[in-house]
Amino acid sequence: MLTIEGVDVFRGETQVLWGIDLTVADAERVAILGSNGAGKSSLMAAITGLLVPRKGTVRLRERSLTGLKPHQITHLGIALVPEGRRVYKGMSVRENLEMGAFPRRGRPRLKETLDRVLNLFPALGRRMNQGAGTLSGGEQQMLAIGRALMSRPELLLIDELSLGLAPRVTKEIYAALDGLGAETTVLLVEQNVELALKHSGRAYIVESGRITGQGRSTDLMNDPNIRRAYLGM
Amino acid sequence: MFALALTNGLVIGIVYALTALGVSLVVGIMNVINFAHGEFYILAGYFSYLFAHTLGMDPLAAMLIAVAGVFVLGLVVEYTLIRPTYGDDMYSLILTFILSIVLQSIYLLVFGPYPNKPPGWVKGATDIFGLFFYGNQRLAALGAGVAVIALFFAMLKLTWFGRMIRAASQDREMAELNGIDTTRLNMFGFGLGCALAAAAGVILAPVFPVTPTAGTPIALTAFVCVVLGGMGSMSGCVLGGLVLGVVENLGAAYVSTGYKHLFMFLILILVLLIRPAGLFGRREA
Repeated sequence: MLTIEGVDVFRGETQVLWGIDLTVADAERVAILGSNGAGKSSLMAAITGLLVPRKGTVRLRERSLTGLKPHQITHLGIALVPEGRRVYKGMSVRENLEMGAFPRRGRPRLKETLDRVLNLFPALGRRMNQGAGTLSGGEQQMLAIGRALMSRPELLLIDELSLGLAPRVTKEIYAALDGLGAETTVLLVEQNVELALKHSGRAYIVESGRITGQGRSTDLMNDPNIRRAYLGM
Repeated sequence: MFALALTNGLVIGIVYALTALGVSLVVGIMNVINFAHGEFYILAGYFSYLFAHTLGMDPLAAMLIAVAGVFVLGLVVEYTLIRPTYGDDMYSLILTFILSIVLQSIYLLVFGPYPNKPPGWVKGATDIFGLFFYGNQRLAALGAGVAVIALFFAMLKLTWFGRMIRAASQDREMAELNGIDTTRLNMFGFGLGCALAAAAGVILAPVFPVTPTAGTPIALTAFVCVVLGGMGSMSGCVLGGLVLGVVENLGAAYVSTGYKHLFMFLILILVLLIRPAGLFGRREA
């Protein structure tokens, strides 16, 4: 579904990613692991079009995303749950979700998708007319995911889901994501390596802007080097 | 005298609010301060004068065409002058400042320095609760101003375009990620901002005639309204407009008309001392 080949990314004049190769197949759950500042979020930005790669290609189903603006990429079926959630705090929960359905692919099925999202996160249903700024961190994260799902994306990108959330809440949200089904392919960035490996089929390891390892999540979980470097065991 | 000054204040205040909404909208969506905002107000006044008086059109039709004309001009200005400057707010500031001077000079050349006044929509005056007689034209201006503001808020709340504006004002990048073409939204947002100034212009021009430089104090007042109400708050902006209108007129009635603008800034300084973010403003985290 998603193919990234030889991508170099710069922030301003500073290179942050070197020769990234990465693929995500249909219905797959792929995690990107790495420490703070490794370039995980930059990779997300390169996929969504917020950062334009200087070299290499990003393709969605054989279609090159090079030269497309972020909103055009969203229309093609990629939705991002951004780091820090970034819900529209001045708008109600319902309005936030409706904004997610703004792309053409989401709008005709708005009602149906809304039911599905509320089914996934019942907590949101009780707060539909409340301002998004009044929600707890966990609820805001649910809202951010719900908003992304409202566009009926083929590929869901999730950036740092667990950041700043209580472990119990994080667990609850990951459990909901596991119930998403095969329709939505997920690429997630996560600092919490254990969680990420538990909830993905395959993973890449990013260090200082380069991919330094990859494999099936179960294998990585048992890899002594990974356990030492990331899991502290 | 109090009731009369209060009514005057409300009429002017509504028009201030309308003008300020345009400023607030443009600042919110694209972070651009349009120094030529007052000149768009004046242009609409001239347009409605031109269409209604010189061409003999129906005043209402003339007003609508005037607002539409300014809207289109707003789109053109965004496309040609503002769009190339994105990323550096200073350039748009200087460019719109230049635009305001250019427009003022054009008005002076075309219409001359004399005040021009489009025909009123209604004649006569109404007895207000037996207190005083008030010009029907001013009452009509008040009604029209309230109607346009109500329409604008309904648009913000109920339409996709309104939601796009609110989303982009809160988080531009996120709005783009939600599939909004923010470049195009900028263009229409700027056009709409100019159209709000134009609506204020056509509403007030039959009461206060337009002159080439009359836009400067209007724009200045609009900026004060926006700061007073709190940057980014549309309802604060309306409240700011009403407060300024009323304070200005009460001050003029009880102290002196010469200090009209002084009252405005006194209020601004007082509010900013107590609430630095403005009446409805939220401090950025």
